[in-house]
Amino acid sequence: MTRENAPSKYPEYRKQLGPGWWLSNQRYTLYMIRELTSFFISIYAIIYIYQLSLLASGDFSSYDLFVRNPATIGFSIIALFFTLYHAVTWFSLMGRIQVVKLGPKKTATPLQAIAINLLLLLIIAYAIVYLFILR
Amino acid sequence: MGICGSCGANVDGEPKLTCASFLHEFKGKEIKIEPLANFPVIKDLIVNIEDFMEKLDHIKPWIIRKEETPLEKGEYRQTPEELEAYKQFSMCINCMLCYAACPIYGMNEEFLGPAATALAYRYIADTRDQDHEARFPMVHDKEGVWECTLVGECSVACPKGVDPMLAIQKTKILGATQILKPPRRGK
Repeated sequence: MTRENAPSKYPEYRKQLGPGWWLSNQRYTLYMIRELTSFFISIYAIIYIYQLSLLASGDFSSYDLFVRNPATIGFSIIALFFTLYHAVTWFSLMGRIQVVKLGPKKTATPLQAIAINLLLLLIIAYAIVYLFILR
Repeated sequence: MGICGSCGANVDGEPKLTCASFLHEFKGKEIKIEPLANFPVIKDLIVNIEDFMEKLDHIKPWIIRKEETPLEKGEYRQTPEELEAYKQFSMCINCMLCYAACPIYGMNEEFLGPAATALAYRYIADTRDQDHEARFPMVHDKEGVWECTLVGECSVACPKGVDPMLAIQKTKILGATQILKPPRRGK
């Protein structure tokens, strides 16, 4: 919203948020960790594209060396942890926003909503794997 | 308690209604009481709330009718389900604790913020209102709902059980689905 920049009638003191604001309360910290997950996911996406390029060029020995590298494995585990953290917190928020109806008057509790959402994710993930790999 | 919404302050770093904060909850501890965070301080615990008042007015917090029905025709009726769609958002007492809890507002005071959006959604979701889209330019402004990054602290801070984060996300969904709709006739 664009406000009219009228000068204030009173002398005021405005306290600015410092760079460490997200450490002042545990919920802020957990939120920032959720935001930070995007960093690991984007790095993983770059690594994944690199792996695909190795496969596409037919350089299987380099691909094999790369995926067996302890650094790649270590980073993948860290990225998996952050991805799971993001998925669980995201689905718990989605359960509150897009309320799942279990009956005419009954709606899912946040925990039930996470369970339903995760189940749907697994079904969709399996369907994709089936369509592109298993079929 | 928790009726007028005028005694908000940061108690031990958390925005609270001071009338509903009891000393026995802090027994044996040192308490730090500060003015509501994210607002300019005038003196002691008094903060300048002009920005919030402007925002409230800005989102047209009233029922917009295309044509007013005469009084003798009776009230505009709603089903319990229609009431339920917006009831919680009408419980806001304008205490501004949600603004004090919101780091996005703390970093950008132009952000429309939780309570004003919750109030906008309260009217958007009200079936008696006949021009929901009249509020879309305000809520979908670049400083509107899209600034929100789902911190969720506004809903934690609300002393009246309102969920402003939910109102913001519902408004985002409405805005996102709006582009899929065909334009209205006569436009």
